[in-house]
Amino acid sequence: MNPPSESDAAATPTGLWLLRGLRGSLSVPAAVLFATFVGFGGLLHDVGFPVGAGVLSTFLVWALPAQVILIGGLASGTPLPALAVAVCLSGVRLLPMVVAVMPLMRGRRPRLLTEIVCAHFVAVTLWVEAFRLLPGVPSVGRPPYALGLGLGLVGQSMAGTAIGYYLTGGLPGPLAVALLLLTPISFTILLVRNARQTVDWLAIAFGAGLAPLVVGSAGGLDLFWSGVGGGTLAFFAARLMERRA
Amino acid sequence: MSAVQGELAAVLIVILVGFLPNEVWRVLGVLLGRGLDENSLWMQWVRAVASALLAAVVARLVLTPSGALVALPLWLRVAAIGAGVAGFAMVRRSVLAGVLAAEAVLILGAWWLGIA
Repeated sequence: MNPPSESDAAATPTGLWLLRGLRGSLSVPAAVLFATFVGFGGLLHDVGFPVGAGVLSTFLVWALPAQVILIGGLASGTPLPALAVAVCLSGVRLLPMVVAVMPLMRGRRPRLLTEIVCAHFVAVTLWVEAFRLLPGVPSVGRPPYALGLGLGLVGQSMAGTAIGYYLTGGLPGPLAVALLLLTPISFTILLVRNARQTVDWLAIAFGAGLAPLVVGSAGGLDLFWSGVGGGTLAFFAARLMERRA
Repeated sequence: MSAVQGELAAVLIVILVGFLPNEVWRVLGVLLGRGLDENSLWMQWVRAVASALLAAVVARLVLTPSGALVALPLWLRVAAIGAGVAGFAMVRRSVLAGVLAAEAVLILGAWWLGIA
């Protein structure tokens, strides 16, 4: 996309930028995202969580790891306060993402409310897509374009969630289990893709390795021990290894 | 699922236990803006915990699943995940290739064993 001149851009109505953002949300990464939310819909059906609340979680939470922690935790009987802590910890990675992407989304005259609304849509896929698409959008059009992009991605994901829910109920045989595997496999690949330093690999190994050992922990704190415990172990182990090296 | 009694309770849980604790970070990100050192020790620990948490969730879903995946033997579930990582690593680090490889192993395995 060639960036139009700023004077042309100023004459373009806000709604048009929103529509262009919506159009920008139809892409290959969006298709992968759609498929993973179909998997999440399958998980909802599998554990018996109401589909309406599940689709709402896609809109409001808009972070698949947090959603899977929530639904998986409810299914295994984790107490709600422990779940809230686990969800909160899993959301920390959104903070640096928002900090990194806001300068691109902000437009010329930043307003706090607009920024907070735009920030709601920040998640891994939007983060990647924003860096690909927003530099080609003139700064006046960026907040509505980002909003359109976000709404498009969230909308497709909400549709995926609902479709996955009803599909799992109607799909017999290996295809139903294939749907359920979508969530763990896409998370595994994301973890591997984002792992760069020793500490990342250690965190994956400790988190996954501790998980089966702490199943059935008192108070339903399995995720707390494997996540916070495993992550902390990985952090200190990596620092020790660096010091030795 | 004893914690969820009906749609309204589920909606409240989504808002109080899902939305609010997660959204805090997005709002904080806006408020803190650029005045944040991504490489501080604190942020390194936070990232390690976030990765371990996600890995633990995956391990739970694969090793001790609660639903229909139980019907498949453990080795097949682990083999499918392994095939996914291998597919991703070998085909230009493509997420799609990894997902397809994992699903192919799972579906063929389930079909061959005559399960599900």
